[in-house]
Amino acid sequence: MDSTQKQVVRTQWLLLFSVLIIAVCGLIYELIAGTLASYVLGDSITQFSLIIGTYMFSMGIGSFLSKYFNKDLLTWFVQVELLVGLIGGISAPLLFVLFPVIDGFQFLLLFLVVIIGTLVGIEIPLLLKILKDKLSFNELVSRVFTFDYIGALLASIVFPLLFVPHLGLIRTSLFFGIINVVVSIILCYYFQKQIKRVALLKFSAFLVLIGQVLAFAFADEIMDYGDELSYQDKVVFAKSTPYQRIVLTKNREELRLFLNSNLQFSSRDEYRYHEALVHPAMSNVKQVKNVLVLGGGDGLAVREILKYPGVENIHLVDLDPEMTRLFSSHKMLAGLNENSLKQPKVTIENKDAFIWLKESRTVYDCVIIDFPDPSSFGLGKLYSNTFYNLLKRVLHPLSVIVIQSTSPLVAPKSFWCVNKTLQACGFRTLPYHNFVPSFGEWGYIMASQQAPLNVPDTFAVPVRYISTPVFLQMMTFSNDMLPKDTLEINKLNNQVLVKYFEQEWRHYTDR
Amino acid sequence: MMTVSGGLGLGMQACRAQRKIPGSIVGASAAIGHMLRDKAFEAPTVFEEKQVVIIGGGISGLSAAMHLSKAGVDDLVLLELEAYTGGNAASGSNEYSKFPYGAHYVPIPNNELKDYTAFLEEAGVITGYENDLPVYNELYLCHDPEDRLYINGKWQEGIVPNYGLGQDARQQFARFFEKMAALRLAKGQDGKDAFAIPIDTSSSDPVYTGLDTITFKQWLEQESFTAKELLWYANYCTLDDFGTTIELISAWAGIHYFAARKGKAANAHYDDVLTWEEGNGFLAAQLRNRTQAEIRTNSLVISIEEMNGKVELSYFDVQQQKVLGLRCDQCIVAAPQFINARMLSRSEPERVGLVKSHMEYSPWIVANLKVKAGLEERNGVDLSWDNVLYEGNGLGYVDAGHQKISLSQPVKNLTYYKPLKGSSNAEARKAALAKQHQEWVAEVLSDLVKVHPNLEQQLLQVDIALWGHAMIQPLPGWIWGETRKKLQQSIGDTIHFAHTDIAGISIFEEAFYQGLNAAKQVKRFL
Ligand SMILES: Cc1cc2nc3c(=O)[nH]c(=O)nc-3n(C[C@H](O)[C@H](O)[C@H](O)COP(=O)(O)OP(=O)(O)OC[C@H]3O[C@@H](n4cnc5c(N)ncnc54)[C@H](O)[C@@H]3O)c2cc1C
Repeated sequence: MDSTQKQVVRTQWLLLFSVLIIAVCGLIYELIAGTLASYVLGDSITQFSLIIGTYMFSMGIGSFLSKYFNKDLLTWFVQVELLVGLIGGISAPLLFVLFPVIDGFQFLLLFLVVIIGTLVGIEIPLLLKILKDKLSFNELVSRVFTFDYIGALLASIVFPLLFVPHLGLIRTSLFFGIINVVVSIILCYYFQKQIKRVALLKFSAFLVLIGQVLAFAFADEIMDYGDELSYQDKVVFAKSTPYQRIVLTKNREELRLFLNSNLQFSSRDEYRYHEALVHPAMSNVKQVKNVLVLGGGDGLAVREILKYPGVENIHLVDLDPEMTRLFSSHKMLAGLNENSLKQPKVTIENKDAFIWLKESRTVYDCVIIDFPDPSSFGLGKLYSNTFYNLLKRVLHPLSVIVIQSTSPLVAPKSFWCVNKTLQACGFRTLPYHNFVPSFGEWGYIMASQQAPLNVPDTFAVPVRYISTPVFLQMMTFSNDMLPKDTLEINKLNNQVLVKYFEQEWRHYTDR
Repeated sequence: MMTVSGGLGLGMQACRAQRKIPGSIVGASAAIGHMLRDKAFEAPTVFEEKQVVIIGGGISGLSAAMHLSKAGVDDLVLLELEAYTGGNAASGSNEYSKFPYGAHYVPIPNNELKDYTAFLEEAGVITGYENDLPVYNELYLCHDPEDRLYINGKWQEGIVPNYGLGQDARQQFARFFEKMAALRLAKGQDGKDAFAIPIDTSSSDPVYTGLDTITFKQWLEQESFTAKELLWYANYCTLDDFGTTIELISAWAGIHYFAARKGKAANAHYDDVLTWEEGNGFLAAQLRNRTQAEIRTNSLVISIEEMNGKVELSYFDVQQQKVLGLRCDQCIVAAPQFINARMLSRSEPERVGLVKSHMEYSPWIVANLKVKAGLEERNGVDLSWDNVLYEGNGLGYVDAGHQKISLSQPVKNLTYYKPLKGSSNAEARKAALAKQHQEWVAEVLSDLVKVHPNLEQQLLQVDIALWGHAMIQPLPGWIWGETRKKLQQSIGDTIHFAHTDIAGISIFEEAFYQGLNAAKQVKRFL
């Protein structure tokens, strides 16, 4: 073999190798899109088949378009390779960051798949054309497609086994982007003479390479950034504790607290919620000395309770030490609860309410229960008859309790189920509701074993919102807040509340 | 959502070589047990005097101990070969929850079992009565969601196959449950329930006992139950309760599983179950708390012999590595018969052969998997107490922390059950004893990755409890045959037997009544 012949052979193999890389990378991008879609949109069967179909179809479009490329084939080939690397490489980080902020996520996803598919679809015919004079037709088709399909096999093996478990999606996507780009750089150097505007192409390739390597290094930050973008406002605090993810956002007017992405309060209207939660119950006890707060680690209910000078002890039991720490020490937050958690009357215990109750012996005049909504089986237990029966151990007959009980408008079954469960445990109840702009229509249930539950004549402490006439209104329920079916009592061994809640809120958010 | 795990270590880490997962093989100390078979012990020289000795600290032995204490017997010793009591109801714990090593639940009891319900009331499991019906402590009734089955690519609610079933299979299930409901009410000529608990209180009417001569599979065929899902389900149930397939188990025992539970309660249904983080370890502890017996663990009984109206026994103190002697007026042998036969071999040499030729015990493993939060899940119902795979290799797993009321469960203990198969029980036992920890882990994983693809990554530890003789197999002829009656007989007026293997089936209630009845015998002769 003489040296030119050797040269030709080497060129061939280099080009075939780049087919392999394109095939691997193309399929990887497609798999990433499918995985991402099934993570964030659910229903993996639909997502994967949509994406595979779209990808194949787009390759067809690419093949079709290839007929318009007849000159400068190598230049086009390298440019397309670079483009695949660029778009494919940043596809996962891009989708991650954009998912929370855009509406047509599925559309964007498919759009990216179409572009990548089309580009990959152009590559193979281009290569066939480049090599057509160097190989017999027979050899050509056989080699190119062999490499193409080997690439596909490789991709589908390494993706689930090696890359997703070890690198995660964002880094996997960038990793293959980088490989694409590196190949295009190699091609640039190898075919220096045959490629048009080779300097510019090299320059852009290096730029993309640097960008992607940086993104690879900062993948975790990209992830966090995506997290933050899902909130409308600036995130001023974010922390994952063993129990939940706490995120605090701020804009000019308000602070908002999110637990596991669910809004807990907005500083703009939380007083409506906390006044409604605390004062009716407090006003229904003759002499309130000892108060128990379950949940409510934000100290806002405690702030309201502290307005009663007769109160001697406030006992706060909240699972998450990070919550109570944050709300005692963070300047803005402690400002919001007026340093309530640091008052000498207040003792804080970070325990599981159910377990704490089993061990507790003190008796309280008033109990404020501010648990998260019953959105999981674990939380559902805190709304069960067993829990309420246990609660009696810390109550005297005239103690008054109040329970935040989700929205009677969105979830009437859930709301009235809590009511019925309390009644089944021998409590008389007084359900009521009010409007809290950032939540919507919200519900509470006041209950006592023997105290007659009245509309207080006055609310004897400084308030912004609640008053006797307002409370009278709160006790009226319109028809659309009443349950249509007979409801069951929520028990540990039926967990009906969680089922009602899930049904009703899913239905609501589906609309 | 997803994790973007760091680390550039790809490629270098090669493919997924199975990570070595920490843990050990625990459970019945086969090594100590085998000493009885293989080692020659010297005879003790001195004999300590006691009024009553109980051998074995499983449920049967503990129940006997509790009832004797209640009857005022206080010169009482219980010998247990393991370092702990509980036997098959033993349990363990780690910083996250307690978990069972074996037995893990009891169905709500039949109402006429007054001694048993009285015990449950003392233990706080029954909190009172409403209209004569027991009210169960709802902390102990299995919380919802109770069970789920992975079938046709989805977790469905309940373990009776339903999702994706054809019309014919559905009809067969309906007919099957109707049939069982009728058998639940059936009574024999003698007026007794056809299928009762303890099984010795069942009717001896041959119409029903005749079912003990065929296998459950034959019976199902006779009744034209052919749907593959129904056969799977029946087989799952008999494996779950008896470690025995429908091809082998007696039809009487198979039906008993479905027709013997008839408990009524103010706040539960006959098929509801009671369970605890530590499984039946809870009940074992309750029994133990109610006896004043002196409990000596690490004590392997070697021989028992009746001598001049008394019982002389020798036991090996595993810690002191010494053989000690005891002489008592009355003795309750609450260990399984294959062991008893060896302890009694001097005076009753024929026992070894009798047991060998008539009694089959199935071997089991129970694997406790300590799993980090973030287990991937398939579609359908959420993690439940009992999680079963249709046509799985094992019986699925129980979430030990299910009954916990705390919200924070960063780590879960999942307890996986599997009766072991082999050409014979002895073969399966031999193969099991030879297996390494990592082989067990791989075996458990291969079953469960189908439903939790990232299980291996989330695994922190796996402990394998190996039960070589987990439970007696009620093969045709065992329950209503002569051998069982023979083996139940006391020896003279001094040595009495109590164990679930001679009860016929291995469930908590049988153990409880085995102990109670033996205690009554002892009382008679004291
Ligand atoms: C894996 C598994 C799961 C089960 N699940 C359930 C369930 O969910 N519900 C249920 O009701 N039942 C279940 N069972 C059945 C369970 O076996 C019975 O309920 C009951 O616990 C049996 O008690 P026992 O006292 O009759 O026997 P064992 O538990 O066998 O007790 C015998 C005791 O004797 C000791 N012993 C043996 N030899 C000697 C010796 N030489 N010297 C001194 N001591 C000796 C043993 O160590 C043991 O502690 C399960 C069993 C297994 C193995």
